[in-house]
Amino acid sequence: MTKRKIQAPCTEGVSESIGFLLIFTLMMAGIGLVTLYGYPLLMQQQTSADEQIMEKNMIVLQNDVKSLAYKTVPYKETSLKIGGGALTIYNSHHTPPASKITIRDANGVIFVTDFRSGDLTYSSASANTEVSLQNGAVVKRQNQGSVMLAEPRWFYDGQTKTLVINLVNLTSNGLMARDGIGTVQMALGETRFDNYDTTGLVPIYLTYTPDSVKDYSVAWDNYLRQTLGMSRNSGTPGSGTGQPLEYELPQTSRLVIKQYEVIIRSL
Amino acid sequence: MARLNDDAQWIVLMGFIVSFALFFIAILINQSTIVGQTTAEAVSEFPKTDIREVRGMIIQSEFLGDENDKTNVQREIRNLSLSRHNAVVEFSSSPPAGSDPYTHIEMHYNNGVTAYNETWRSE
Repeated sequence: MTKRKIQAPCTEGVSESIGFLLIFTLMMAGIGLVTLYGYPLLMQQQTSADEQIMEKNMIVLQNDVKSLAYKTVPYKETSLKIGGGALTIYNSHHTPPASKITIRDANGVIFVTDFRSGDLTYSSASANTEVSLQNGAVVKRQNQGSVMLAEPRWFYDGQTKTLVINLVNLTSNGLMARDGIGTVQMALGETRFDNYDTTGLVPIYLTYTPDSVKDYSVAWDNYLRQTLGMSRNSGTPGSGTGQPLEYELPQTSRLVIKQYEVIIRSL
Repeated sequence: MARLNDDAQWIVLMGFIVSFALFFIAILINQSTIVGQTTAEAVSEFPKTDIREVRGMIIQSEFLGDENDKTNVQREIRNLSLSRHNAVVEFSSSPPAGSDPYTHIEMHYNNGVTAYNETWRSE
């Protein structure tokens, strides 16, 4: 007995049952905390991760559309995973349209009438947000607020005073939707190319009519005014009323309007 | 009584370092959406062959004998670049004059992502 005391003096006062209780309490507290607070947090993270993944996927799809339209690639295919929501194609004949674009000049010459882009929309099941690929741009919406994640390729060349407007419309055989893993197959349809000489100093107007429910007008308003330097004549973006917004184009001596049809073969 | 052996403290330290490294990598992956897009665009969108093609055509067209052909060909170069390459192309030339024995061509190319300007001189 005396020998043992000398060998292990530091085990004095150590009780197995108290140790067991301590460890047990710690474990239970840990599990409790994770279930009560960690799990809801994790679910929230999962939703936002699903959304971010879809934002990324939409940009990939936008690049596909770019290849089809601007590089005259005939066909593109992309596999993607759609989580926490559904990807739906509302083609350009779908009513109500996501948006309508009309371009005309002050003399009443009409360049484009009621162009409907159609859109490829991801609606999140729980977060109440939508990410949409429309008219060559990727936009995100929550209620009436919206933001443009990737811009379409419209551009103004200052040296030649040329404004190039690329309108992309999505068509498909009816309404299609997909959840889970799927392949988006796209093909290039008809294209149209118009080149107008606009040196006559007549103002040109672009009218953007949003849908009253799926209202992406804030994103488009920002893009048209900040990036392309247009000025807004009438209308309020994000009003949710579906009222048209009218913009005046910057001074151009040449207006190029290109229209592309992208056919969604399957989702 | 055995002394406390602390030779393996580095294992704990490594644990810390590795976890911090993982944390930073996670932040990087999180940012990859934006970075991926910009990089992909920069690499795949640079129209090297388009610019070369158009540049070659412009220079060739400048030495066409017939004035009428030249006007037609140059108009078609502008139209084709717009319709096929989605690019605005503009160019003008000045023939040899006075003490300057060279032809100069000013070229401008813009496809919304890349803009390219060049003053070419025949030598």
